[in-house]
Amino acid sequence: MLHTGVPKGVIGTVVVVGGGSAGWLTACRLAAQSISRGSKLNVSLVESANVPSVGVGEGTWPTMRNTLRKIGIDETTFIRSCDATLKQGARFVGWTDGSANDAYYHPLNPPAGTGDVDLSPYWLGLSMADDKATGARSRADGTSFADWVDYQSALCDAGLAPKTITAPEYGGHANYAYHLDAGKFAVLLRDHAVGSLGVEHVIGDVVSANRSDNGDIRNVELADGRILAGDLFVDCSGLSALLIGGVYDVPFHSCRDILFADRALAMQVPYQDEDDPIACYTVSTAQDAGWIWDIGLWTRRGVGHVYSSTYTSDNEAEAALREYVGPAGDALPVRKIAFEPGHRERFWQNNCVAIGLSAGFLEPLEASALMLIETSLDALVDRLPQTRSAMASIARQFNETFSHHWQRIIEFLKLHYVITQRRDTAFWRDNAAAASIPEGLQERLDLWKHHSPSPQDFAHAREVFSWPSYQYVLHGMRFGSDYRGKPATVEFATVEALVARNKRIRVELLSKLPEHRDLLRAVRQHGLQRV
Amino acid sequence: MSTVRALRRADHATLCFDRTVVGAEQRVVQIGLSELVFAAADMPLCLAKDASTGRFNLVALVGLVGPVNLFVHDRRFHATYCPRALQLSAFRLDQNGVAGLAIVDDDPAIGTSGDPLFLDAEPSPLLTDVATALKGLVADIGAARDLVDGYAADNLIRPLNLVLQGTDSREHVIDGLYTIGTEALMRLPNDEVVRLHRSGALGWAGVLTASLAQVERLCQLHNAAGQQQLRIKRLSCDDGLGA
Repeated sequence: MLHTGVPKGVIGTVVVVGGGSAGWLTACRLAAQSISRGSKLNVSLVESANVPSVGVGEGTWPTMRNTLRKIGIDETTFIRSCDATLKQGARFVGWTDGSANDAYYHPLNPPAGTGDVDLSPYWLGLSMADDKATGARSRADGTSFADWVDYQSALCDAGLAPKTITAPEYGGHANYAYHLDAGKFAVLLRDHAVGSLGVEHVIGDVVSANRSDNGDIRNVELADGRILAGDLFVDCSGLSALLIGGVYDVPFHSCRDILFADRALAMQVPYQDEDDPIACYTVSTAQDAGWIWDIGLWTRRGVGHVYSSTYTSDNEAEAALREYVGPAGDALPVRKIAFEPGHRERFWQNNCVAIGLSAGFLEPLEASALMLIETSLDALVDRLPQTRSAMASIARQFNETFSHHWQRIIEFLKLHYVITQRRDTAFWRDNAAAASIPEGLQERLDLWKHHSPSPQDFAHAREVFSWPSYQYVLHGMRFGSDYRGKPATVEFATVEALVARNKRIRVELLSKLPEHRDLLRAVRQHGLQRV
Repeated sequence: MSTVRALRRADHATLCFDRTVVGAEQRVVQIGLSELVFAAADMPLCLAKDASTGRFNLVALVGLVGPVNLFVHDRRFHATYCPRALQLSAFRLDQNGVAGLAIVDDDPAIGTSGDPLFLDAEPSPLLTDVATALKGLVADIGAARDLVDGYAADNLIRPLNLVLQGTDSREHVIDGLYTIGTEALMRLPNDEVVRLHRSGALGWAGVLTASLAQVERLCQLHNAAGQQQLRIKRLSCDDGLGA
């Protein structure tokens, strides 16, 4: 038999349904990979002109640097186009006991010695003496775990950028991610996808999907009658989940019994003065029935209240948000978003993959939404099925991997609520109740009373939240661990050297790095070099 | 730390400028485009980032370890060509100063020997010459920066890996320097190669990369000074996969 054109069964056309960050990132990654490998994949993206993007995901992980590099967007363009700022971690305020000075950092740098020496027991060992005197697990001089094992929280406190203007794009002296304007990000991605990567942009409302005998989606039909055929369909239609939910009815697995938040109120707060400092970390401040995020962009702050409708009313939540923002927010509108925390039971069904909100959403704590999109795309693009016959096994791998990731993210987010000492409201009391704690998390918490979180505690080679993150949160929230590193050992000498080195780097960087806004101003004016 | 002050008759009337004197405490000097071929006769030419803008400047390497200008002996510059920025290091352009100049107080070229800055309490013709030369240098450095911006736009710039080793086996990493990636040049599309060639940028790129052979000369000068002997352990551009 002679073949003409694309051989039967070959994945030659991908249709992305839905714009926004998820859709355009998907289109960019697929098209960039196709250009890089010369695979001549046709990528189309169809989005409605009538459905606004949810656009809440304004915090990224450091992985975004690699994602942007892969799709060929330079960092200068990204920072300028998206009002982006550099994020070095998160500061959790009021999560441990709600007292006046209750705050800790979860920096993006891993602890010093990662892979060689675990500093965790030694920090706890140093703290013991102080426990008796002060009742606190920090050292008497106030050195927190994050401060002892790394220098990044000092940079955050000082309001310094993680890099200088002479650093190459996507490189820095400390690990960093971004805060960004999600609406502008989608526009940048769209322009890049269409202008540079050859993605076909279709404006239209998907009204139905036609399926083949094997259940695959053959094409989607738009309201104006146009038909978009494809070999693979990526559902980036957001919470409406047009394909994974609407066509395949893949069950949605709610996790509201674990993570209680199901509402968000978002507000955009302009700076009082154009030279106001820009925080280089997310501030997450605990509230009576949730928490408030506060992130700094170039021209404004993004502030929002995530809460549980079971424990507070919308009006009370808005009042709490307005009290947090103060007079600067008096005349500002608040946008309300309702969501059901959870995820699909499967993310890849037949020839349809769900990426973004269509796959699920938990809550914005620890900024996992964009990261999950990137991780999904890594899995999809790196292992894009070449033929339909290869799709079933790749889909099975994908579903297993992401079922695991979602469970682990749920557990990590729940950790923040479980180990709190707050008992001042029903929200916090119920969060700590055993019935709401996943079995796997409880098992690990029991283990971590006696052992430091380590790579062996996690089965998956590429955990999205691994042991360094657990160490920062557990020690930041003064989790009651009883293991201690012994001084005057061979390993302790290494520990002391690492801590001393950390101090030297901190001193050097505190004198060397520019203020965050100054760095961003320089980037906007002069740009970053590629090398 | 040097103090730069606007040139004033009241403060500087008795000072002289000795144009044969060059400061010895400098490792890198910025050069203009017109100096490129001359400087390459003596010293390695590289690119280095401006600390306040991050943009690349064209620089000549005149030292290796520490702020020591290896071409300077007894306050004189011993080479075929002396970069103009070194010749004029005692002065800056300053609209508030006499002749539009400022003076670097502790520059070794400024003192009691040489040509007087003021004659009979009036600015000497020397000052006009210096101001003209400085303006020319600024424009020439601007031209060099434009050239280098073009290299950056073509993604041709790569970090320079320069590692020296002393007789005690200690390594000295000279970082913060960049050069033109030869592999990156090879990968340029034909049209861009022709464009670079016709603009002169391709030829200058060749001069830049060839000048790196002068690192060996710097080592010789360093070793001849009787200090710990150095040898080149690694001298290459980080051209791997590019940036």
